[in-house]
Amino acid sequence: MSTEKGKKLKFKVQRFNPEEDQSPYLQEFIVPVTRGMTVLDALFYIKENLDSSLSFRSSCRMAICGSCGMLINNYPYLACHTQIEELKADTLEIRSLPNFALIKDLVPNILPMGLKHRSIKPFIIRPDTQEMENPTAEFIQKPRELNSFLQFSYCVKCGICVSSCPTSASDKLFLGPQALTQCYRYCADTRDSGAKDRFPVVDTDHGVWHCHLAGACSQACPKGLDPALGIQLLKRLLVAKALGISKKQPPAPIVPPPTVSKPKIAVPEFTVTPAQKET
Amino acid sequence: MLGMRHTYLWFAQLVTGALIAMFLGIHMVIMHLEDILGFFGVEIHEPTSWGSMIERAGKGSWLAFYILFLAFVLYHGLNGLRGILLELTPSAKVERIINWAIIALGIIAFALGTYVPVALFQG
Repeated sequence: MSTEKGKKLKFKVQRFNPEEDQSPYLQEFIVPVTRGMTVLDALFYIKENLDSSLSFRSSCRMAICGSCGMLINNYPYLACHTQIEELKADTLEIRSLPNFALIKDLVPNILPMGLKHRSIKPFIIRPDTQEMENPTAEFIQKPRELNSFLQFSYCVKCGICVSSCPTSASDKLFLGPQALTQCYRYCADTRDSGAKDRFPVVDTDHGVWHCHLAGACSQACPKGLDPALGIQLLKRLLVAKALGISKKQPPAPIVPPPTVSKPKIAVPEFTVTPAQKET
Repeated sequence: MLGMRHTYLWFAQLVTGALIAMFLGIHMVIMHLEDILGFFGVEIHEPTSWGSMIERAGKGSWLAFYILFLAFVLYHGLNGLRGILLELTPSAKVERIINWAIIALGIIAFALGTYVPVALFQG
């Protein structure tokens, strides 16, 4: 496919109105495409020029908010992060993300993923609640400790990993790669001591042990995360805990206030005075 | 301890998998690959014959071997089957039924499986 000026492309877009339709169907649109145009741009073109009733989610248009995950030619992508040209197709088929119930057109119901995410307590848990509520300083964390979980903190909760997961497809109660990876992200954080609160949530029949390690989540993640790795590392934490060989260390303490501070670099003198400038 | 129940079950699945590979290897070498044992100087004459089988059945070490082998295979197989069934039937009520059915099946199969070697051992 080329995107020279005047090129038009056929879009087959999933439509579904729960008040009128029994099941989803595909509606065809012809969209003029240009170089650099994203799938989300094309959907906006359809909504603004061809059918204003088309529903889809979007917000940031720069792969940060995770709103516009959808199935594009049978592969889950962020629509704003996918240029039409790179798909090299003459027809684009766009559906809502699988493994989620459908609300309308391209809008999936991602509430179950949100509830599963919330169930693993995705925040720092510490015994010193006073410091957490009224922080006086930062907690110590070495770069090596940060790198142990940093990639997993880039999750944008788009649901693409869940939509590509074969276990999530067959087991609706499965926590899913998103929640499990975030569980590891917080358990691996040296500032956190909430593993005892999270392990009972993931150590269930539909928790971490149901991951088949298909790796589809890692392949599909638009942010380049490796959720399959996160889940495996979470399994390692659980086994170490069960066998009593896990590292027992308190959460990272706060950084002592600096005793010596470097003076600020002085602002350079003007090389041209206002008087010289006037002349 | 109970809080990590599924971790223990999964870890046991791994361990029994490794043990099955080892026990099955011993079984295969003894029963079907006597030529290889012969190469290393160990002579077993017709290991699958009735006489050899009765001779092995009278030894406590072989009795323990086969009972353990059966236990490992049953645990590994039935726990794997349980995992598949639970994934396909996400319901708390069905889960309980599956769990008890699997446990009952395992006990019955173990009782039947150990009956023959124990009876032969006792003569």
